Amino acid sequence: MIDLSALSATDIRDGITAKRFSAREVAAAAFAHIDALEPAIHAFNQLTPELAAQAADRIDAMAAAGEELPPLAGVPAGIKDNMNLVGTRTTCSAKILANYESVYDCTAVRRLLDAGALPVGKCNLDEFAFGSSTENSAFGPTRNPWDIERVPGGSSGGSAACVAVGMVTVSLGSDTGGSIRQPGALTGTVAMKPTYGRVSRYGCVAFASSLDQIGPFAHNVRDAALVLNTIAGKDEMDATSVTESVPDFTATLSDGVKGLRVGIVRDMLELEGLAPEVKASVEAAAERYAALGAEVDDVEIPAARHGLSAYYIIGPAEASSNLARFDGIRYGHRVDDAIDVLDLYMRSRAEGFGPESIRRIMLGTYALSAGYYDAYYGQAQKARTLIIEDFAKAFERYDVLLTPTSPEVAFKIGEKSTDPLAMYLSDVFTIPLNLAGLPGISVPCGLSEGLPIGLQVIGRHFDEATMLRAAAALEADLTLDMTPALAKGGLDG
Amino acid sequence: MAKDRLAEVLERYEAVIGLEIHTELTSLKSKMFCGCPVEFGGEPNTRVCPVCLGLPGALPVPNEAAVEATVLAGLAVNCDIALWSQFHRKQYFYPDMPKDYQISQYDLPFCSGGYLDVEVDGADEYTTHIGVTRIHLEEDTGKMVHVGGAEGRIAGAEKSFVDFNRAGTPLMELVSEPDIRTPEEARRFAQKLRLIMLALGVSDCSMEEGSMRVDGNISIRLHGETELGTKSEVKNMNSFKALHDALAYEIVRQADLVDAGGRVVQETRHWDAGAKRTSTLRSKEEAHDYRYFPEPDMVPFAFTEEWVESIAERLPELPDAMCERFMTTWELPKHGATVLTSDLAMAVFFETTVAEAGEARAKSVANVMLNDFSAHLNADGVAVDESLVKPSMVAELVGLVDDGAISSKQAKEVFSAMAETGEMPAVIVEARGMKQVSDIVAIEAVVDAVIAASPNEVASYRGGKVGLIGWFVGQVMREMRGQGNPQVVNEVLRKKLG
Repeated sequence: MIDLSALSATDIRDGITAKRFSAREVAAAAFAHIDALEPAIHAFNQLTPELAAQAADRIDAMAAAGEELPPLAGVPAGIKDNMNLVGTRTTCSAKILANYESVYDCTAVRRLLDAGALPVGKCNLDEFAFGSSTENSAFGPTRNPWDIERVPGGSSGGSAACVAVGMVTVSLGSDTGGSIRQPGALTGTVAMKPTYGRVSRYGCVAFASSLDQIGPFAHNVRDAALVLNTIAGKDEMDATSVTESVPDFTATLSDGVKGLRVGIVRDMLELEGLAPEVKASVEAAAERYAALGAEVDDVEIPAARHGLSAYYIIGPAEASSNLARFDGIRYGHRVDDAIDVLDLYMRSRAEGFGPESIRRIMLGTYALSAGYYDAYYGQAQKARTLIIEDFAKAFERYDVLLTPTSPEVAFKIGEKSTDPLAMYLSDVFTIPLNLAGLPGISVPCGLSEGLPIGLQVIGRHFDEATMLRAAAALEADLTLDMTPALAKGGLDG
Repeated sequence: MAKDRLAEVLERYEAVIGLEIHTELTSLKSKMFCGCPVEFGGEPNTRVCPVCLGLPGALPVPNEAAVEATVLAGLAVNCDIALWSQFHRKQYFYPDMPKDYQISQYDLPFCSGGYLDVEVDGADEYTTHIGVTRIHLEEDTGKMVHVGGAEGRIAGAEKSFVDFNRAGTPLMELVSEPDIRTPEEARRFAQKLRLIMLALGVSDCSMEEGSMRVDGNISIRLHGETELGTKSEVKNMNSFKALHDALAYEIVRQADLVDAGGRVVQETRHWDAGAKRTSTLRSKEEAHDYRYFPEPDMVPFAFTEEWVESIAERLPELPDAMCERFMTTWELPKHGATVLTSDLAMAVFFETTVAEAGEARAKSVANVMLNDFSAHLNADGVAVDESLVKPSMVAELVGLVDDGAISSKQAKEVFSAMAETGEMPAVIVEARGMKQVSDIVAIEAVVDAVIAASPNEVASYRGGKVGLIGWFVGQVMREMRGQGNPQVVNEVLRKKLG
């Protein structure tokens, strides 16, 4: 059987082109791996072997006909279960959508599959992407392949774990406050949130419309760039997607960082609650950049300290509105003994939503209520403007900025699930980027007691290319082995 | 309700009325935020897609044509067009609203600060200036059908069905200033607005089908008072008559309440056209907190002066200007010009007919249209373009009269036949042998015969009773079965009798 963990996306495409193996064999290897490891990890809400087989057959037919294969031909891919794909359920890991069958395709998913990827399954998440641990799933938590007693981060924990353990080569996640990058850091994967507007949000069940962005998980920066190539670009179905031209993000990956101006966000490194070994690892990474010829210096983003509070107004406000449609009228969970329409709404929603969803809906509803709007939403928007301005100032002097992705390595399942505020702190470094619409990538920069640490590289708006180049340079320099022991054992077994 | 009751109340109280007028942009090809077609009716839930059904993950994309139509409407009622505007979400739960919020506009509408000058005729004809606070754009809801329960309302219904065909239809909302003082002014304002929308071609403005919906806010106060009284809002006024009658009812109801020492309660009331009364729909306590916030799925609109200018260039001739032009170009009296321009189809019909009949016959064309044509439309209950009568027919008819081929009396008969059969007037005249006789020799023969048969009358006439000329004309015309050219008959008679 093929050892998928040794193959990049390009290796898979080249292997099929050279007829060393078929897309069908790649799919078989992925599902064998899933069979062995999924019971321990629970990365998926639904597996889609038929869809993967159909996609594989298409690729194999193209290969047999000698046609040029698309860039992600035969690449097994996981899809976060908040993105629509016809032939699958899109549950958002919520009871209220447990049986919801997609009737149309999410644009980013469609583009990924059009590029030849094999849809392996729908990945677990915190219900409606509300969380940083994937414990808030109505279908049970996903476990971290590095230590199955620990969380994989969240909300895209399933998408992160299935890549980390090698069940798939790439996956799609969505990131509203760090939901791609933080699980990327906690699972030792490369995880990117593109610039807001770079990738269409159409078909991804909205959490906070002004913050949400779809992005890739991969084993290496190059695969992440390849995925971004395929999913980026204007979509007529998303009015916030932009017409900005899409370069080949793989073209400049090996150009190095000589002369690159790199800013370490010093005030974030001084944040209380940042684990010392994470801080040390990030500082060591900064030193590597200097050694590689970059101009490294400290920079401050003072307004970023308002990020968390602004985010927990804006995010829930938009979420409370976006989740209103789950009312039991047209689809989704509905009580069958409602006495009137109000009773139907209230009980269907009370039964269908989990505690964190209810908490955020209530927070957001409160923040938008008459008499409170200016004090909460209005103030949060002001803070957001300040954060945008601070980043803009920093990018006058620097090409990329560095922060830790997460203040700490993967924590234990249950450790923070009863303390929402502690959980919310997990995203303190990632949230400011969503508020500012900036792209960010988490790239592994070390291990602490056998658990991965992620470095967040922040780029200018629509300059993912420079951000990816910086991430690739560090990756090439560190040559870390980011395969968890479980993955190696799983392959042997 | 008796008219004098309203008049009596309005002597003691001043009514303060503001209107909210929703107009569906029915002439657009697609809905407000998706590509589904805009059409009335249809099999339930057939004109829907993930976007207008509010399916998970679907996103709205604004229909630029709807934005342009709204700006056009704003310009037509003298509004300022905002160079920076935005959609907001208006949030409340209702089963006909798929997302449980309506994409609407809040503090940044496309148009604001306009007005309409409205003519009110009658004994004391006057013009009143009514401010237009704003015009904004939003999406319409679906439609519900309730089975069982009272009055087709959701409360108490056994079953409810939702049809989302209408959901997402572009809906323009105009809010007037509370400058309206009588139900008649309100009706005139709404009618004028409808004419403008029809001229702009943005909507079919059917109050019956709900593509134009008028709600009124009414309060009363003593004359000279500057504070506003407590208002009630009246809904379900599905015709201009209903608008007038409901407002009149509400003014009198409020006056009666106050006269009896009571107080008007702020509430929404429902007009029942059958019972001719309003009743409470919901009280202020049940009013929603809509939790408006900027729609994050769309970026704000930044217009340039040049863009607004380019929309303004698309403004067609509006009813007021057209009426003015009809008066000056065709020398029509104000009343005639107003009637002809109060319906775009009527105005187009008139101008097409004049183009065919010749400009010199404009007044004759106007006369036929204001009399025979209008009467026929009313009597047969048809719209201008549904009538069998076409401009070419009216042009020919006017020509026949002008050329003396038929009398104006005969023309009325020909018109009726035309309206019934759709045949050209010449064909009807021919078939009925109605052609007017202007041949002097033929007329002289009849005149001679009449004179010979009426020696007494001839003697009287010649003796000075010249008024008898009418009697002689009548005799001749009777002999000629009405086909004699009256002018020629008159001339010949005077010559022979004189």
